[in-house]
Amino acid sequence: MNLSIRTQELGFLAVSAVLGILGAVAVATANADELDFGALPGAVAVLGVFIAMHVTLRLKAAYADPYVLPLVGVLAAIGLVELHRISPELARDQTIWFVVGGAVFILVLLFLPDHHVLQRYRYSLGAAAVLILILTMIFGTTINGSRLWIEIGQGQTIQPTELAKVLVVMFLAGYLADKRELLAIPTSRVAGVPVPPMSALGPALVFLAISLLLIAVLNDFGTAILFFGVFLAMLYLATGRTSYVVAGLAAIAVGAAAVWAAIPRIQDRVDAWIDPFGDAQGLGFQLVQSLYALADGGLVGPGLGRAFLVNPDGSTVIPALQTDFIFSAVAAELGYVGAIGIILCFLLLVQRGFAIAGAANDGYSKLLAGGLTAVLGIQAFLIIGGVIRLIPLTGVTLPFMSYGGSSVVTNFGLIAILLLVSHRSRASRLEAKRAAEEPA
Amino acid sequence: MNTSLRRLYLTMAAGFVGLMLMLGYWQVVAAPDLNDDADNPQALQRDRLVDRGQIQSADGKVLAASRAVRVRGQRVYERVYPQGSLAAQTIGYSSPEQGKTGIEASWNRWLAGSYGTQPLLQRLNLREKRGATVETHLDTRVQEVAQSALGDRRGAVVALDPSTGGVLAMASSPTFNLQDVRTGFAQIADQPGAPLLNRATQGRYPPGSSFKVVTATAALESGLYSPGSRFDDNGRYVVNGQPIRNFGGRTFGNHTLARALQDSINTTFARIGDALGPRLAATMKAYGFGERPPIDLPESEVVPSGRYDNQGQLLAADQQGADTARLAIGQERLEATPLQMAMVAAGVANDGTVMAPHIGRRALDRGGSVVRELDPVEIGKPASPAVAQELTEMMEQVVESGTGTAAAIPNVRVAGKTGTAETGAPGTNEAWFIGFAPADNPQVAVAVVIEDTPQTGGEIAAPVARSVMETALEVGAGSGP
Repeated sequence: MNLSIRTQELGFLAVSAVLGILGAVAVATANADELDFGALPGAVAVLGVFIAMHVTLRLKAAYADPYVLPLVGVLAAIGLVELHRISPELARDQTIWFVVGGAVFILVLLFLPDHHVLQRYRYSLGAAAVLILILTMIFGTTINGSRLWIEIGQGQTIQPTELAKVLVVMFLAGYLADKRELLAIPTSRVAGVPVPPMSALGPALVFLAISLLLIAVLNDFGTAILFFGVFLAMLYLATGRTSYVVAGLAAIAVGAAAVWAAIPRIQDRVDAWIDPFGDAQGLGFQLVQSLYALADGGLVGPGLGRAFLVNPDGSTVIPALQTDFIFSAVAAELGYVGAIGIILCFLLLVQRGFAIAGAANDGYSKLLAGGLTAVLGIQAFLIIGGVIRLIPLTGVTLPFMSYGGSSVVTNFGLIAILLLVSHRSRASRLEAKRAAEEPA
Repeated sequence: MNTSLRRLYLTMAAGFVGLMLMLGYWQVVAAPDLNDDADNPQALQRDRLVDRGQIQSADGKVLAASRAVRVRGQRVYERVYPQGSLAAQTIGYSSPEQGKTGIEASWNRWLAGSYGTQPLLQRLNLREKRGATVETHLDTRVQEVAQSALGDRRGAVVALDPSTGGVLAMASSPTFNLQDVRTGFAQIADQPGAPLLNRATQGRYPPGSSFKVVTATAALESGLYSPGSRFDDNGRYVVNGQPIRNFGGRTFGNHTLARALQDSINTTFARIGDALGPRLAATMKAYGFGERPPIDLPESEVVPSGRYDNQGQLLAADQQGADTARLAIGQERLEATPLQMAMVAAGVANDGTVMAPHIGRRALDRGGSVVRELDPVEIGKPASPAVAQELTEMMEQVVESGTGTAAAIPNVRVAGKTGTAETGAPGTNEAWFIGFAPADNPQVAVAVVIEDTPQTGGEIAAPVARSVMETALEVGAGSGP
């Protein structure tokens, strides 16, 4: 049997949908005496969004990787079910964001025939990233100590750093593709560390420094680590030189130590990480509650909708459960087995992303796909590692699962570009093959 | 670039494996400890999702039940206590804010349905989280009489079924309404007289003359004395340079051991205590002194009886260096709980064998099958049946014509012993009565203590014991279904 790529994708999507529906049924039957159909319109809408995205892929990117969209579907479905279970209002908002994200996905595929167009606008995109950060700094609202949000009326806020991270990848991919030959050959050594020609690396470093400085002003160190991590990953992809990564990691260590020494808030975070139970009612509260929730989940977990996550007064047992700690909520309900499933979904998504990069035909495409994948992977690692106390907690969102419009919409756009790269590389290979087979 | 991509992927995959390992530590390895952590507020709150089993009295009344309520669309359970303040400290409460006490705590595994394979089946959604019903020996009719007989006075009553150790009633005054724990816990805790304290198991009182039953047991068991042994009393007996006198400064002259118990003659029991020496400690141990009684209540709510030092620490059970003359009349820093003294009365009543006291009888799942049953357990044999019979007859004399006549019930043979321990404050006593009935076929054994009263045990505690025993016999408590 030789199914087309898109038909395979449809099959996988059906599996995702079944998972989502089962989850929704579990929640609907968990606590109510009668079935709760309140989530039905939202579920239908999200299903519709994924079908629309699938149809768009059929029309505009028929050769794109068939696994990415279903994996996103699983994560989105479980995330949405979990949000509905925490509070139906959250799920309603999130559904709207899925619709908007789906629209962005479709628009990208409809109006961006070839991702190489982005290469041409690399400096504009980089400038846009910086501009967004500057605008956030000027007009931003401070929530929980970080100035990350811009109010857009009616209490709605957007988180522009989410968009900035994609723009940064686009800029770096274009820039590094230009300079990678130059960068790969060190021209000098500083304290034994090989250093690439500054004329090639300089602009990227300046860009990175500006970005990090702005993010430091915004007081969002999770995003700072994400940016730096993505920069190192892409520099490594472009040059293949481990020494750069080691030097970069050393720079991170020094920078982190400096930040730790200078900023009390960061010291608190680190203290809470080293010994959360030492101040379980204060600094360590969120993390300790997260660990209690994980422990409650145990090996198998009570099932979606069946763990104790919401207090009688409507507050959640972990503050910021629906955003930073959504993973803890899922792990509490699905247990270790289910949580492993979620981590594997992210790992598979990362694997597909790098496979797409590997299959791409040119350096720019590889860097773009690799960079976008690195963003997803590092971000998932940072926040999951944070809530399970593997690393200090940083408040980045868990892609496709955390509550929040900016994150959902940006990540759907990111996936659209990734799939576009996948489609283009395979399509052009097939064209070349056809051209070669045709008699001259 | 594809080599770099592969390496980058492997690096990330290693990071994700790290996530899985760390997660496994929290969800599998450390999970049991975290779930049992007393500071884990989620564990307490999770109890709200459990349909806890009922606690029932022996006469079929519901003492505690769960009621389903909807909070923000979620079904949760609230604990209700239909009997209000009845046996409040003994039943205890279960509240997400205040935790658990009493039977609610000690039978929690069964009440919460987490016994046997239930937790696994619930996890796999093969069973609902529903707890088992716990049937107790408590009889609400006896309990009610005990509480109303205590009235406003501070004190405690324990009524046991001597042959099984079943607790028919356990009252502590002042009490509180279990129904108010959820809404007004702070007010309860602030009430004068510490109503949350279970005086029956946590209150330590000098037992005074009620302890003479223990001394008499040791005396008869030693073979040195019989009920007819004769003594001379001149109103004082000097030990360690200080005279021991009789209550009210009375002098009794020539009398028998039986008469010494009947009239509670201090000098004679002090003399016996001197002669018995360490044998007294052995008898105390057999009655359960020196150890926390093995009752089905949380350990923190039960204290052992025995000699306590000034710091409130229990002294060694062998009573090394103790003045056994004063110990024999319930002095010498001896402190006993009402439960322990009830065990003394019940031990005599049960042919000299002390049964482990227990409140809960058995737990039944929703299908009605027994999932736990507490069988009667012997925990000590302070007296032979023959000695127990002699003691019974001596204690009958106390109620018939001695200090305990206020405990007499028409047409029922009652055995008992009074106690009036001075508290140190002039004119105030801890008034005791211990006893059982009917003396020829004991169905109920009681201990009553009333704090800080100017009256004697015979005047104030004996009538309370009488009401409790009379009611227990009337309703046939303890005879079982």
